Amino acid sequence: MSTSKDRLIASLNHRQPDKIPVDIGSTSVTGIHVLAIENLRKYYGLDYHPVRLIEPYQMLGEVEDDLAEILHLDVAGIPAKNSLFGFPNENWKEFRTFWGQTLIVPGKFITEVDPNGDLIIFPEGDKTVGPSGKMPKAGYFFDSIIRQEPFIEEELNPIDNIEEFQLLTNDDLTYWSDNIRKLKDSGKGVIANFGGTGLGDIALVPAPFLKHPKGIRDITEWYLSTLMRPDYIKFIFEKQVEIALENFRRLFEVIGNDIDAVFLCGTDFGTQTSSFCSTETFDELYLPWYKKMTDWIHEHTTWKTFKHSCGAVEPFMDSFIRAGIDIINPVQINASGMDPKTLKQKYGEKLVFWGGGIDTQKVLPFGTPSQVEAQVIELCDIFSKDGGFVFNTIHNIQANVPVENIVAIFTGLEKVNGS
Amino acid sequence: MNDILNQISLCVEAGKINKSSPYPPGMKDQDGADELSKKALQQGFKPDEILEKALIPAMANVGNKFSRKEIYVPQMLMSAKAMSGAMIHLKPFFQSGETRRKGTFIIGTVTGDLHDIGKNLVSMMVEGGGWEVIDLGVDVSSEKFLNALKEKPDAAVGLSALLTTTMENMKMIVSEIKSKHKDTKILVGGAPVTHDYCKKIGADFYSPDPQGAVNFLNRMRLSI
Repeated sequence: MSTSKDRLIASLNHRQPDKIPVDIGSTSVTGIHVLAIENLRKYYGLDYHPVRLIEPYQMLGEVEDDLAEILHLDVAGIPAKNSLFGFPNENWKEFRTFWGQTLIVPGKFITEVDPNGDLIIFPEGDKTVGPSGKMPKAGYFFDSIIRQEPFIEEELNPIDNIEEFQLLTNDDLTYWSDNIRKLKDSGKGVIANFGGTGLGDIALVPAPFLKHPKGIRDITEWYLSTLMRPDYIKFIFEKQVEIALENFRRLFEVIGNDIDAVFLCGTDFGTQTSSFCSTETFDELYLPWYKKMTDWIHEHTTWKTFKHSCGAVEPFMDSFIRAGIDIINPVQINASGMDPKTLKQKYGEKLVFWGGGIDTQKVLPFGTPSQVEAQVIELCDIFSKDGGFVFNTIHNIQANVPVENIVAIFTGLEKVNGS
Repeated sequence: MNDILNQISLCVEAGKINKSSPYPPGMKDQDGADELSKKALQQGFKPDEILEKALIPAMANVGNKFSRKEIYVPQMLMSAKAMSGAMIHLKPFFQSGETRRKGTFIIGTVTGDLHDIGKNLVSMMVEGGGWEVIDLGVDVSSEKFLNALKEKPDAAVGLSALLTTTMENMKMIVSEIKSKHKDTKILVGGAPVTHDYCKKIGADFYSPDPQGAVNFLNRMRLSI
């Protein structure tokens, strides 16, 4: 009988697996909100205990083994050592959210309620510097506080934008090898996010993990820089990739081929109806740097490269393939031009679709359970032929999704995969 | 069209802010929208001529190119920046009442939502369409929208939401505004928002792109 890992590897290599591999919770873009996890645990009658917060920015929770077993999940993930707010997941403590949920959060999850009633959080848990993230009192997760220092054009130095890209230390390597070793006998497929490989990811540009970010940190200014200061951006990418390649080499020495996929980049190129740049700009500004990373990975390892981009990115698929991307996520099928049948037919032999399993903007949060189940079955039917598909919702499952609709995902999957 | 107005228009479309701006590379060391607008005023052009004959048509071209996917978010932001470079010189005339704009548009991202790129693009395009824009920012409650409407009762209102979790707040804000100002036109937008959702929550208009909002406001003004 196939293990989860066999199933994932078959699908990633475009072979028909015995069942469609299923991922909920392995990465920061295929995860599930802490509130949705608590609701699911209650629904299935599992032990009550506070959900552990494993990704504080988007408030994603840990899917524990008991829940993973019920849901038949096939993929385990290892997050970067430090969260987006710059602290590690350790020294756990309790925390009560605005919506009345008790969580277990990292010790350096240091917050304050500001005069407006919003929750602010501090980089590395250090209250001696300004906050770097804010959760509105009516919100369910954080967004970055933009801390752009005023700058003089002539004095801009791209070195300031590469503070966050560092060579991995022995401690870091131990973190990766220990965590990957723990998963080795689990039978699960494994995806790792080593960090430092996202090219201009707009969630990372404001650097909520740094105490004193310098350089270009404002989102609008970053987008303008892709036009006004292309050499500045290229310098950052060049240095970043240089460091990433050395880190890959160091990591491979300690973990070998014990992971199945590597989360490479979360930069969104698509909007709901259009894109953030032309494909020509992508090919000129981004593609060469992706290619350097993916070439190294393909030459030295069996890791598959995972690229996330929301939105209407059908026009970019050929470029993604030329950039050496193996896996595309989240496959936002309700964005313009993202017809599932067309995507599978045109790109299914070259790209693995990790996502695209249920529309998370309309059907999952606002549809009925039977609509959810029907769409899951329909999309699995389209995407799963000859492998090349890992079931995931399109991006994270949000706090407001009715638990019956989440359960309906798995009812649909059971009909496709068998119980 | 007069040469200088034509040049201002070209600068806005191309995103040439001022002389020192490095973009676009083909217009290096040339005057931008900033310097040319100042010169146009010095040459005796009226602010409303600059607005109506140079800025509004340029921004409409930008909006239409964006809708047709001929340009993308960064180019649109550059054009909006160039337009702001020109507007600096025109704003005193708006403030003194010497030059009137088409009307007022109050815009904000709804309660619980901190995302502002889409909202900012709409805000810039509507301003470039000749409207006064009151941008209330992000995480804006119905109370803040109602307070702004007290000051500008004839204004139209724009609500933005990026998240499925905050769309419900959009519904609540539409209902509260309509209960006190039933004739106020409300425009809604944002990634998960659709025409059907707009109708369902009782808003007046949905557009998937900024230019659609400008066109709706212009049509609304003509029908008054």
